[in-house]
Amino acid sequence: MLSVRKLRKKFGGKEVLKGVSFEVSRGEIYGLLGHNGAGKSTTLGIILSMVAAGGGEVLIDGISVQRDPRRALRKVGAIFEAPAFYDYMSGWENLKVLVGLSGVFEEGKAREMVERVGLSDRIGSQVSTYSHGMRQRLALAQALLPEPEILLLDEPTDGLDPEGIKWFRDFIIGLREERGMTVLFNSHLLSEVEQMCDRVSIIREGELVYEGAVNELRDDRPALRIVASPSEVLGEVAGCFHGEQQHDGRWIFPEETAVPELVKSLVAAGVNLSELTPLRRSLEDVYLEHSRLNLR
Amino acid sequence: MIFLRQLGGELRKLFTRKRTYIGYVVFLVFEALLLSLWVQVGRDQFEALAKRNFVPVDLLSSSLTATYWIMGFSMFLLGSIYFALVSGDIVAKETEDGNMRMVLARPISRLRVLLLKYAAVIIYTVTFVVFVGVTGYGMSLLAMGAEGGLFIWNPDMYILAIYPDRDEAFWRLFQGACFMGMSMCVVTSLGFFFSCLKIKPAAASVMALSVFFIDFVLQNIPFLVSHKDVFITYRMANWVYVLQENVPWDRVVESYVILMGLNISLFILGWMVFQSRDFKT
Repeated sequence: MLSVRKLRKKFGGKEVLKGVSFEVSRGEIYGLLGHNGAGKSTTLGIILSMVAAGGGEVLIDGISVQRDPRRALRKVGAIFEAPAFYDYMSGWENLKVLVGLSGVFEEGKAREMVERVGLSDRIGSQVSTYSHGMRQRLALAQALLPEPEILLLDEPTDGLDPEGIKWFRDFIIGLREERGMTVLFNSHLLSEVEQMCDRVSIIREGELVYEGAVNELRDDRPALRIVASPSEVLGEVAGCFHGEQQHDGRWIFPEETAVPELVKSLVAAGVNLSELTPLRRSLEDVYLEHSRLNLR
Repeated sequence: MIFLRQLGGELRKLFTRKRTYIGYVVFLVFEALLLSLWVQVGRDQFEALAKRNFVPVDLLSSSLTATYWIMGFSMFLLGSIYFALVSGDIVAKETEDGNMRMVLARPISRLRVLLLKYAAVIIYTVTFVVFVGVTGYGMSLLAMGAEGGLFIWNPDMYILAIYPDRDEAFWRLFQGACFMGMSMCVVTSLGFFFSCLKIKPAAASVMALSVFFIDFVLQNIPFLVSHKDVFITYRMANWVYVLQENVPWDRVVESYVILMGLNISLFILGWMVFQSRDFKT
């Protein structure tokens, strides 16, 4: 559905994209991860033809964004982190103006959509009186009304409260189930990516350093915080179990490690064990490690 | 059809904003002030002057003549400020506020986006001139009544014209207002051009006004009088020739072809800059 091929871009002599490529299949929710300034928004900007690519190409359903942006973007809806509406107009007027730019604004369909995003009561109010969550709902309505096949989300849950984040997540997942919508989700909120996406890529300093399924990014290897003395003996015993100590002091063992056996061996070796705490490794830990490993 | 609907949306955006109406309010107040000064202070002096110069008093002191003075004196300098303000905002403000990203994320070409915006500010300009003409005439009617023709005296352009017949006078003034509207589109085009650059909306308006006023000042420097034809503001002032008894159409057409060419050039330049820009947060 979406094919990003060897994108390159320079801003003021600095290369911000260095040949980024990835593919998003129809009906897939694909996450683009990366820290601020990694190149995620530039990638999205190029996909939306707002930023000129220095090299490479973007195909949406086989249509090149660079060669025929109008045709390619007919299949696209987009939502940005802070959707900028015309604050002095009502939500309804905003929909009319923005959706009208994509073609025809149909009132009946718009009313249904407004109801679906839960804005019926406030759609006639000025957008300046809307909360951030309401703006995001209006953004969803304006993006979905032209019935796009692919939705591009640029950090859409930033600044939303937990309820708003859950509503948004459920809505997007519902869209995929109901319409087979393809979604490109650009975020640095890893928990969101973990819960929504099928596949992710990690972009760092303009390069794609990882691409794969979300569950591949998770690490199920046991991680333990061990406080014990003498540390040399601890190191020896942990080494026998193929444990590796991380820069933050944690010990990581192979997946098949039996932790009770490890404890027994430590005690038998005369280690004075003060603390042994199992740690759950978050996606964030893995993401940080992964991107670092791939860079160096 | 879709273009017209989209233009409707663009006009809705423009006319829903409060600042669009600043110019309308100021002109209403200004017209009322000008007329009350005329009635309270100026009328007697002008009538005496008219008698001394054998000009029929009822021509000089008529609602049509008053409308001509209001439009002729106020629109050129005061009106240009509002046209520069609105047209300087039209692209730059949306870019600054982030609305432009919402617009460009849609299947619409940048050329079309600009055409819609340009058409909207041109409509604003023309309707503004019409508004000033209609309200100026309306107020003059209330203050002076419907009697009298039209007296035109413009020493800078060497024009002196008298229209005792009210219908002809009205028609001439209407024609003049139309040409003045076209002239003022140049200020709008200047503001629009600067608005397409990567600058703040206020900077776009200031740049447009700077070009306009610099041109106006240069045009009035005595040693440049013989080169007046090269200045935009002189060409813009050619609207007044339509009020001359024998209209020099060759001169009027030449000026308006030049002004239209300038408008088109400014639009194309603005579009070229806009087309090459990257839009990011």
